Amino acid sequence: MHAPRSNRTMLTFALLVSGALASSCASKRTADLDPLEPGELGVAIRCGRVLTVDDDDATYGPGLVLVKNGRIAYVGPDRAVPAGYPVEERLDLWASPGMVELHAHVHGPGGDINDMVYPVNADLRASAGFVPGNRAIRLACAGGVTTLFGIPGSGTSIGGFGILFKAKTAGATYDEATIRDPGGMKVAQSYNPERRAGDLGATRAGLSWILEQWNEEARVANREGTSTPMLENLQKVHSRELPVLIHSAGSDGYPAAARMWHVKYGARAVLSHGCFDAHMTAPWLVELGVPLNVGPREIDFSTTRDGKITGTAARYLEAGARNLSLNTDSPVVPQEELFLQGAVAARYGADSHTMLRAVTIAPARVFGLDDRVGSLEVGKDADVVLRTGEPLDPRSRVEVVFIDGLVEYDRRRDGQWF
Amino acid sequence: MPSAAAQYGGKPTAPVGRAPLAGEVGGPGLAIRAKKVLTVPDEGPQVVDNAILLVREGLIEAVGPARSMTIPAGYEVLDASDKWICPGYIDLHAHVGGTMDINEMVYLVNPGLRVSASVVPSNRALERGLAGGVTTILFIPGSGVNVGGQGVLLKTGLERYEDALVRNPGSMKLAQAGNPEGWTVGVGRSFMNWNTRWMFRRGLLYAKRWEDHEKNGGVEPRYEFDLEIFRWLAAKKTQISTHTQIYQVVLTTLTMVKQELGLDVYIDHGEMAGYKLAGFAKDLGVNAILGPRVVEVPTRQFINWTGSNPEAILGIAAQYQKAGMTRIGFNTDSPVIPQEELFLQAATGARYGFDDSNVDTVRGLTIIPAITAGIADRVGSIEPGKEADLLFLTGDPIDPRTAIDAVWIEGTRVYDTKTMRRRF
Repeated sequence: MHAPRSNRTMLTFALLVSGALASSCASKRTADLDPLEPGELGVAIRCGRVLTVDDDDATYGPGLVLVKNGRIAYVGPDRAVPAGYPVEERLDLWASPGMVELHAHVHGPGGDINDMVYPVNADLRASAGFVPGNRAIRLACAGGVTTLFGIPGSGTSIGGFGILFKAKTAGATYDEATIRDPGGMKVAQSYNPERRAGDLGATRAGLSWILEQWNEEARVANREGTSTPMLENLQKVHSRELPVLIHSAGSDGYPAAARMWHVKYGARAVLSHGCFDAHMTAPWLVELGVPLNVGPREIDFSTTRDGKITGTAARYLEAGARNLSLNTDSPVVPQEELFLQGAVAARYGADSHTMLRAVTIAPARVFGLDDRVGSLEVGKDADVVLRTGEPLDPRSRVEVVFIDGLVEYDRRRDGQWF
Repeated sequence: MPSAAAQYGGKPTAPVGRAPLAGEVGGPGLAIRAKKVLTVPDEGPQVVDNAILLVREGLIEAVGPARSMTIPAGYEVLDASDKWICPGYIDLHAHVGGTMDINEMVYLVNPGLRVSASVVPSNRALERGLAGGVTTILFIPGSGVNVGGQGVLLKTGLERYEDALVRNPGSMKLAQAGNPEGWTVGVGRSFMNWNTRWMFRRGLLYAKRWEDHEKNGGVEPRYEFDLEIFRWLAAKKTQISTHTQIYQVVLTTLTMVKQELGLDVYIDHGEMAGYKLAGFAKDLGVNAILGPRVVEVPTRQFINWTGSNPEAILGIAAQYQKAGMTRIGFNTDSPVIPQEELFLQAATGARYGFDDSNVDTVRGLTIIPAITAGIADRVGSIEPGKEADLLFLTGDPIDPRTAIDAVWIEGTRVYDTKTMRRRF
């Protein structure tokens, strides 16, 4: 049985209350096996196998996930369901956490993601173009992607600030869908923002110079305790309140971005893309410990010119990368195909299970969202995907997607979207 | 940390992913027997015949004639007794250190721009340069505007920026004239020099305010990112490398930048009739790094920029030398002259009259540029304590018939024709 949509407002209220309680809990929370009281929303999901993607990579088969008021109350081996819970019994399906995408441009429908008059637009917000539950987001949900970072494009050095949201389908409001706005900053440092219009930024060094001028303004403003509306959010990047996702690639651009944001400014920098021959610098990037977010190209065969197809994720992993995540750069690769990015990375040498982590808990962790999403653990948001098999196997079909405990997609109810 | 804080490359580091070899950091000491070592210190004897060279922890430990040297216990011995060894070459005018987009041409002066953002360590042009013996370059912005930005001093054969880094800022690049002019509509030399002088004076005032603040305390001066470089120039921690060449342009470099403003500056594009000021430059302590043109030709088809129009081919280096200049180096302006052909610039100088009896050709590729760029404590000669950047040659380094068999940087065999494809 599914929670009816008309109960959404009530659920939101319940979430606010339970959220306040849950936030004070430790990371390993105790299961709540109390009965579901009248007025509470919940569901018991009993399925053939549960992949938690937690720190121990625990799996249970058959397993049970109890959802109470939008959060996970229990996850573990199958057991007696406490009183009051409606039971969703799908012993033919596998449960896994909803996937997390840190590089998406499908938050709005129009593709108007680049404002390209100024090279730096540190005060601009992608959320102004956010349309919750748009068609691309609905498809993402049907592909098992439940959390997204919707960001400006890479036409300028600082495109603006992105929005972190859930892939709720029909009828969700901005408030219901949004996790954090602004969720972080978007920078484009090489391969795209190079400006050919006769103004500043024709060269890589010039682009870097412009970024440094703004960064120095923000750094000094933080030191002096001053601010202006133009600098306010950039200052939060410098104080590590907000992360910054950096569009960069190549053995030239990728380390340069790491040097500026991770080494020099100590920001919570995540290097996105990492395409072309950036994998040649893997050992150095790993030594720095800067998180990598790889995609949309998961392979390189053009820059190394050695006749081989190199799986970039595999190269980063071989060098010892931790917290590696994958992206689609949607719509460059369709948002619903995030799992395929993991499959391609695995095909070219990356460990398949690590790639499942790379589209779930790893991106959640680098963006500080791992207290809410990325794995199936007690106290976390009930973003649960039920599939007919392994999540990265293209033969597996998504059957049901829960977000915050509500069914946002059900193949039997809605028809197959993807 | 102020943004323009100079970054200095650290000591040689141990190899990653393999055991260190003799001479490298973490490995045993190494004694190299060589036919001839061109030590080229700033002063004193320049050559040691039948030499033993001791290398340890990536650094030169000692060098001397075999008869007077003792090889310490535990040292490995490398027999290169058919080879000449000289220090790795240093090119103070190179554009091939990274992405080739080197000109940001909106403002005439871009003092805050750092070309270090464009570095691609050990790229293909640098790999060829390495095979031609070039171990250190000053990678600088182009000459499209007056102050293109800050250059960076790099080793050529090391793969990580941090390892390759020698100093950032390596210099502030000034193109005094002969390129930045707007030849159609735009500024000319009078405005450019007014503008450059105005910006330099503003920068030096800024540096002075900080200097006073550091000495006397009080209210901290307002931080200006684009002027930070002048604190390092004022403290003589970096220099101005100048694209300057024609008589009146070199004159402006000498009178304005050195005499009037007192900044450490060197001629870094020395060619054309600038040599007529060689004596004046020497008196002011301004060194001359020559190239890419190292000769002055009597053609009348070329624009008569230079005012010289000699009746015969003149060697620029010879002209500087004749005027008494002793600090003469060579550059390629790569890729104008390919990076690997740096040694040919010196050879051409010798062909057109540059006296090489004190190995001034080799000095002009090693110790002179090292002194000029303020890095002679690390590189530029084979002296105890310096980094073991070594070339193994079949003969005289400046002779085009000589082949470079191997190149070491900081004790590491970064290029070796015995185990790698010959690149040049």
